[in-house]
Amino acid sequence: MSTTVATRGAAATRTTAPLSRLLAAELRWVLRRPRTLVVLGLLALVPLAIAIGIATTGGPSEGRGPGLVAQIAGNGFVLPVVALGLSLALLLPLAVASAGADAIAGEAATGTLRGLLLAPVGRMRLVVMKAAGVVTVAVLAVLVVAVVGMIAGTVVVGGAQGTLVTLSGTQLGIGEALGRIALVAVWTVGQLLAVGAVALAISTFTEHPLVVLACVLGGLIVFGVLSAVPSLDWLQPVLLTTGFSAGTDVLRDPLPLGGLASSSLRALVYVVLGLGVTLARMRRRDA
Amino acid sequence: MTASPGTLGVVPPPEGPVPDAEPAARVRGLRKTFGRVVAVDGVDLDLPKGAIVGMLGPNGSGKTTLIRMLLGLTRPTAGSVELLGRRGDDLPAALPDVGALVEGPGFHPFLSGRDNLLRAAATEPRLDGDLRAPVDAALERVGLGGGASGATGGGDAARRRYRGYSLGMKQRLGLAAALLVPRRLVVLDEPTNGLDPAGTRDVRRVIAELHEAGTTVLLSSHLLAEVEAVCTHVAVLQRGTLLVSGELAGLLDGGAGELVLTVDDHDAALDALRAAGAGPYVRDGGVVVPAGTLEPPEVVEALVHWGVGVWEVHRRRAHLEELFARLTEEDT
Repeated sequence: MSTTVATRGAAATRTTAPLSRLLAAELRWVLRRPRTLVVLGLLALVPLAIAIGIATTGGPSEGRGPGLVAQIAGNGFVLPVVALGLSLALLLPLAVASAGADAIAGEAATGTLRGLLLAPVGRMRLVVMKAAGVVTVAVLAVLVVAVVGMIAGTVVVGGAQGTLVTLSGTQLGIGEALGRIALVAVWTVGQLLAVGAVALAISTFTEHPLVVLACVLGGLIVFGVLSAVPSLDWLQPVLLTTGFSAGTDVLRDPLPLGGLASSSLRALVYVVLGLGVTLARMRRRDA
Repeated sequence: MTASPGTLGVVPPPEGPVPDAEPAARVRGLRKTFGRVVAVDGVDLDLPKGAIVGMLGPNGSGKTTLIRMLLGLTRPTAGSVELLGRRGDDLPAALPDVGALVEGPGFHPFLSGRDNLLRAAATEPRLDGDLRAPVDAALERVGLGGGASGATGGGDAARRRYRGYSLGMKQRLGLAAALLVPRRLVVLDEPTNGLDPAGTRDVRRVIAELHEAGTTVLLSSHLLAEVEAVCTHVAVLQRGTLLVSGELAGLLDGGAGELVLTVDDHDAALDALRAAGAGPYVRDGGVVVPAGTLEPPEVVEALVHWGVGVWEVHRRRAHLEELFARLTEEDT
């Protein structure tokens, strides 16, 4: 043995670093990346912008029916739900896709993927580590929108005596209102994980993070177009975007769970497929 | 101290530990094709334990591809790789004891050099507990440390963002990552790219330290002088095939070594040597006996017989450059 510095215990024989240390290093890296912080900051602006818009115009203008955004006027707890719904169209997927793009394609571009494989972080552990980073970004992004939305809703818009007036016209107490917001937040994270898994899968095929972003966002737009074509109705069940509008169901009373459940199931299928492709590809990928 | 290749055909005893019979790495019949391009073709190579193996070859000769296959970064099209006794799917199990700087340093621009190394250290299986100590030691070793020995940009180089590093500092940081853990094998692919003379000297010092600690070093380079100065063994690649490999001293000795004589009577010396069976000629005021004809004692004996005064017999040692030129010429 040529080792001059004694390595103790497990470190002397193990062939990969402990998973907890790998995960901590990955999270530190994700959270220190300027791009992550900028995207999270931008997401915080979404509920703020809506709140400011409501506060300055004071609700729906004369002669127009009450839209979803108009529901927020005098009903602050609706704001986080609406903000999450609006962000899910493009901004939240952008945040998650960008995390997925940096996770593997970005590491390949900077030459650091080589370092990870040489350490070695096992190839399967690498996927676990990278998936954890993407999940973290998804959760944080949703938390930022939901929490800023709740604060802005309460402070700027004001609640109807601490209650939530549903689209169905009933009033929910503060406990149930918070429960509904938590539900839509968790559901949104689920939808984003589908986007993230697909982004990771694409990320394993390229060393250009922009390709990943373009594919994911382009894909979402194409899905949107496809779902707008009546003769392609039969495609609806497989399009991820089909379920994106189910989030506002939490504003109805009684709570209809069908849309939330089916869209979550669809997201789960995307997650399984995305992770499957990622694992299969990373087993063989050159770095 | 670096191993200085032998003169007068004497093979120097290897410094550091005597190479084991079992090599640190071994490749057999290694081949890699990218589409119709053959990058590496039928390479058999051993890296003897404790050796400093210089891998030479022009750009595009397959050096990096060979290294990437050795480290499991690229799958060979055919052939086998054994790294520290591990092969096939078990190859990654050897990697904790292997340090590598391949295809230039790879780090994140938004982190400081030190934070980049801390991230790398977190992934090293051999490290435990506080990671700052090994990171700072590695930085110090490559001249990026905070101490007085910091060779580049003052003491805080390691705390600046990697984005602003010069090519030489990036290269030093890459070297530091390879040295985070005491290794059994260190693979350095063109380590002196972009380094100033002080940096080149530091790399040589690091290689010498590794050698003393018994670490096997694989150094790929297209700089013949660099390889000649530090290596105990060489392997010469050209267009994906291995032209020659072996101990540097042995290869140089087998390669050339003409004798240059200073005598008082050129004509008499030429006659004497011709009679003795050599094909001597005069060059630059000296009599040259081509390599592989007569050995020095025979030369001196012949000359003394003919009454020629001999002032000096000098064997001009072949340089790697000549060996390399001869090998690559033969092939083209």
